[in-house]
Amino acid sequence: MLRRLALLASVAMCCLAQQPRALSILQQRCIPCHSGPSKKSGLDLSSRELAIQGGDRGPAIVPGKAKESLAYRVASHSEKPHMPLQSPKLSEADLTVLAEWIDQGAEYGAAAKAVASADAPLPLPNHWSFRKPQRPAVPVVATVERVRNPIDAFVAAEREKRKLTAVGPAVPRMLLRRVYLDLVGVPPTKEEMDKFLADPSPNAYEAVVDRLLADSRYGERWGRHWMDIWRYSDWYGWRKGNDVRNSQRFMWRWRDWIVESLNRDKSYDRMILEMLAADEVAPQDTDAMRATGFLARNYSKYDRDGWMQDAVDHTALGMLGITVKCARCHDHKFDPIAQEEYYRFRAFFEPYDVRVDRVPGEVDITKDGLSRVFDVDVQRPTYLYVRGDIQQPDKAKVLTPSVPRLFGFPLGSIEQVTVPLDSYYPDHRSFVQKDLLAKAKADVEQAQADLAKKEEQYATVGKDVAKLSVAEGYEKMRVASDELALAKKTLAAAKENVVALGARVAADNARFASPPDAAYENFATEARTAERKAGILKADEDVTRAQMELDKALRATPTDEKMVGEAQKRLTAASASLTQATDGYHTVGTVYENKSSGRRTALARWIGSPDNPLTARVAMNHIWLRHFGKPLVPTVFDFGLNGKPPTNPALLDWLATEFVRSGWSMKAMHRLMVTSATYRMQSSAGTENNSNAAADPDNEYLWRMNPRRMEAEVVRDSILSLSGELDLTMGGPDIDETKGLESNRRSIYFRHSPDTQMEFLKTFDGANPVECYLRSESVVPQQALALANSQISVEKARVLAAKIGISAAPEAFVKSAFETILGRLPSAEEQAVGVRFLQREPDLLASWQVPGPPAARAREDFVHVLLNHNDFVTIR
Amino acid sequence: MKPNRNFHSVGRRGFLADMGMGFTGLALGAMLNGESVARAATEGWRAPDGKPHFAPKAKRVIWLFMIGGVSHVETFDPKPALNKYAGMRLGDTPFKDFDQNPLVKKNLREVIVGLHKIEPNLYPLQVGYKKRGQSGIEVSDWWPNVSECIDDIAVVRSMWTTDNNHGAQMQFHTGRHVLEGQFPTIGSWVHYGLGSLNENLPQFVVLGEPVDTCCGGLAAHGAAYLGPEHGGVQLAVRPEDPLAFSKLGPGVSKEEQKSEFELVSEFSRLSMAQYPDDAAMRARIKSYELAFRMQTAVPEVMKFSEENEATRRMYGLDQETTKPFGEMCLAARRMAESGVRFVQVFHGQNGGAGKWDAHSNLKKGHTDLCQQVDKPIAGLLKDLKQRGMLDDTIVVFATEFGRTPGSEGTNGRNHHPYGFSVWMAGGGIKGGVVNGATDEIGFHAVENRHYVTDIHATILHQLGLDGKKLEVPGRKRLEIDLGNPIHEIIA
Repeated sequence: MLRRLALLASVAMCCLAQQPRALSILQQRCIPCHSGPSKKSGLDLSSRELAIQGGDRGPAIVPGKAKESLAYRVASHSEKPHMPLQSPKLSEADLTVLAEWIDQGAEYGAAAKAVASADAPLPLPNHWSFRKPQRPAVPVVATVERVRNPIDAFVAAEREKRKLTAVGPAVPRMLLRRVYLDLVGVPPTKEEMDKFLADPSPNAYEAVVDRLLADSRYGERWGRHWMDIWRYSDWYGWRKGNDVRNSQRFMWRWRDWIVESLNRDKSYDRMILEMLAADEVAPQDTDAMRATGFLARNYSKYDRDGWMQDAVDHTALGMLGITVKCARCHDHKFDPIAQEEYYRFRAFFEPYDVRVDRVPGEVDITKDGLSRVFDVDVQRPTYLYVRGDIQQPDKAKVLTPSVPRLFGFPLGSIEQVTVPLDSYYPDHRSFVQKDLLAKAKADVEQAQADLAKKEEQYATVGKDVAKLSVAEGYEKMRVASDELALAKKTLAAAKENVVALGARVAADNARFASPPDAAYENFATEARTAERKAGILKADEDVTRAQMELDKALRATPTDEKMVGEAQKRLTAASASLTQATDGYHTVGTVYENKSSGRRTALARWIGSPDNPLTARVAMNHIWLRHFGKPLVPTVFDFGLNGKPPTNPALLDWLATEFVRSGWSMKAMHRLMVTSATYRMQSSAGTENNSNAAADPDNEYLWRMNPRRMEAEVVRDSILSLSGELDLTMGGPDIDETKGLESNRRSIYFRHSPDTQMEFLKTFDGANPVECYLRSESVVPQQALALANSQISVEKARVLAAKIGISAAPEAFVKSAFETILGRLPSAEEQAVGVRFLQREPDLLASWQVPGPPAARAREDFVHVLLNHNDFVTIR
Repeated sequence: MKPNRNFHSVGRRGFLADMGMGFTGLALGAMLNGESVARAATEGWRAPDGKPHFAPKAKRVIWLFMIGGVSHVETFDPKPALNKYAGMRLGDTPFKDFDQNPLVKKNLREVIVGLHKIEPNLYPLQVGYKKRGQSGIEVSDWWPNVSECIDDIAVVRSMWTTDNNHGAQMQFHTGRHVLEGQFPTIGSWVHYGLGSLNENLPQFVVLGEPVDTCCGGLAAHGAAYLGPEHGGVQLAVRPEDPLAFSKLGPGVSKEEQKSEFELVSEFSRLSMAQYPDDAAMRARIKSYELAFRMQTAVPEVMKFSEENEATRRMYGLDQETTKPFGEMCLAARRMAESGVRFVQVFHGQNGGAGKWDAHSNLKKGHTDLCQQVDKPIAGLLKDLKQRGMLDDTIVVFATEFGRTPGSEGTNGRNHHPYGFSVWMAGGGIKGGVVNGATDEIGFHAVENRHYVTDIHATILHQLGLDGKKLEVPGRKRLEIDLGNPIHEIIA
């Protein structure tokens, strides 16, 4: 800032009219790339001499001759490459200023030195997405009849500019099917369709929209979209060994949080806050805590750096629509993000780690629990890695967290947070104490039962021994006796453990009481004694068991060396624990730090700020993409200089500001979008609109709706829904991905990770759990095979046929099947073809000895054919 | 076929008869061929009829693509000068002006100004070379098996591309940098231009993990504006289960399924009339028909058990190291044999830039990678030859760019778009020849420079196609997109 002032002050003294303005233009638009050690094209524009000397392409400025100056030629776009690269062209006024300044001799004046400073921070390009969106006025358009709400006006304005004519609205049947699939992910039932068609109210459609947005299936449908963007993955690693190497166990709780949050229309800024920092802003709210799955998902057992990279990259890609990844090794090539800024962004995440807290009813945290994040070390330093090499941290400088300057608006203050007892000592919660004590008591009962069994066994062996040889008898008695001894020790240890645990709980309660219980020391001593005693008994049990295992290993023929070794190791360890000194008692569970850095809260509030230029735009682009089949900004995760500009910038900015104005309500925005006239257009180009197709073949400017293919989950869920067998149970643990064709739950509930994906979903371009900001929509024969041959389509077709009415006459059946499955009536030709099939197929089926009554089978086959119809997977 | 099938659907049979084919779908597919791409068609323009423009020399292509950037100077383009000047800065050698060469600029389309980094410290060759075969072409010691086939190979040592980031992977297939968007790949042009050799198999098959989304993803075997039906179909090389969902549904009989497929096709025909402009539907209809035939055809093709022991060994199926890529090469041959037009085989996907991307530990990395592919590729060439198929099958060995003559860090090489090598064999390509050359240190392609599309043009030429004639109205192609056939290597 000081530098800037100095520059302006010195320039003001100069006599040449255009100098200050020209230099200011250079400074803002050219010098950012053309100066310093990494100057582009070898050109340095920061001083007159260097500018005249020029770069790889020769002199940039010829004083007195603007038209011959390369700098002017590329800036005025009379020569390529057009400058500033991938940024808006300079205004005509600015170009005139530059031309006059060069024509006047291109004097830098006293400002030269100030401009030249190579270590000046990167000035910011005036890129559209780095500036806060200003709410544009809704355009006045000629085609008012196509305008239902502002969205339509913005779309119509672009159409009119290009002389495109909007096609007519979709027929009601098509529209209803479209909006059902879009909002809840399953088609309307025949009854719902009929009801809609019969509703004379002018707001019949809006009523449906409201009803669907209030339907809990909405949260599941849109939850999956956000799971794509937030890269939901169940844990993966080594499933057989139960070894979590990536992501975390119980991620499904995060998935449930997503679904519930959407259904409750939780504001988007709040969702961001909870995902990034629920542990800081709502430390006692275990429901909100589930949101931190967003960060827990990045966990990587063997690669902390990769984990941090993912947290940084995907927070930026998903929420901010910028790629910061490049700046890990060097200053960003496209966007003004310095390498140091990358690491300062990382510093927000540096202190966090993941852990599993207990949930009521289960003490084993590998079986159930709440995976969440917390700051394990608020002091953990962040260093810049030279060239991204983790072996080369630049330890001279500990980097504090901050946001890239390109956003042009600052981070709020970072306040350290003191977290409450329940959060920093989760096992102190009374339900955990209760569950642990109950478990300890259950262990005693188990040990007692086991002992009874061993006693009986011993008695039996004693009776049978007479029938055996001496050697055999001895061996059996020895084993039975050893096992009995062990069972006794197990019971003793379990009993003492109940006492010890009770004492530790009492000591914990005294210690963490507020104020601490005066008798704490007594409780602590008692706990230590009890724990010691229990420990000795437990060690005694372990030694006995280890000894037995060793015996067994030694007696095996041939001796199993590996087992002997392992048994010996266990024996040594168990014996050692007998002689270990202990001081104090052990708290019942881990006590974590009672403070959190507050960094993630600050970041989340900054991302979710109405002043953030990107957050609302990026979210709106994602929602728009999923309603209209194509995004406004084609590079959905890159709004930077390397991304593509929006096809309709005013619309995007209006949506972004409207989103913020609505209190970040997604449902409000869904409603706006799906009730717009734009959304209600037909998707077919029609025959009369060939000029549209010629002028805008890719429908960039929405002269019609985009037809789409159902996403993988919608294909499966729709088949189930049509058959009436879709199980609408919500939430809960992930279901084995191999059960997808048998279980009737919605697709969102199946295990989904890089190693485990349902084949059926994968075939239809299901989300890539590593990164999926935009789903691909491939057309491959495997999809046809999945619909033709999979168990789910064949079996559900039979159920559906029965539902439609297996004994209906061919005419009625064909009509009803079309309505039910494709949401439309058959054409006369289709009807005729269908009827003919139902009339002729039964005899054929009989001749092929296909089992079952042929007439019914033909109807089932007909239903199956309609599931394979192009119009089934197509959303028109 | 059962006799009582005769009365089945007279109307439909009439339709079939019109098309002169046994199965509705095929006819419908043929009817739809090519139309999708240019609805706003200009007068006089017609979609390709599936016949070559002139007499072809080759029928099919096997395209082997190494992901990440193979070091040209350590494979097919020996540069002893790198040993001589090892460790010296470029500026201190006779080649000091190489980075100032106008070719540096000429090479680039400058999508991103200043992105191209040149490593200045010359790095010695990490492997030795020997003269091979009758032709005496030098090939590095990492390729003992491919070397035996050198007299069937035309090495092109003067490739250049415009990019030195891995977007060049897609660029090698489309001719356009990833930032310019998606364009049809060479495989899709071939698919678009030529009719089918076997109606039961996809004509454009992709084996191996395709390039990562970072660098083009599925678009590196996509068809962009030609329409999805011309894109590559990914198949798993998994002989026990090569094609998911290819077994009949529970309780379904073969005839019953066929009957259903026919009805679907009939409905599709009706829909097509209603939505003539729906490219996705067109593609789906075709893929549906193909799917029906693939159910039996693909498992047949993947039956490696039909191959004898000698053949299996030839591809390295008996060795852990060579088996994965060997199976792909064998599958490629079996596909080619069965009539697949274009088999695109990827090697080196690693969820990022690619395994060949030797920024560090080049020696170890390239040694291992070459070992994985050398035997299988040689096996493929030899096998094709012994079956007489090499005469009309073009095999291409390619990668997105070369690697810098200078070192990156202590033991790697950086990306190098200014000069690199690929090779071709078979299908009327001369054997035992070298075309083009880089300078003394392998920096610039200096003789007979070839942009990546020259390889495309050569392939099309051998297949009897004129790229220019394939152009679609409204989708203007530049000279550089079309490239020029490398006549010097054409027999």
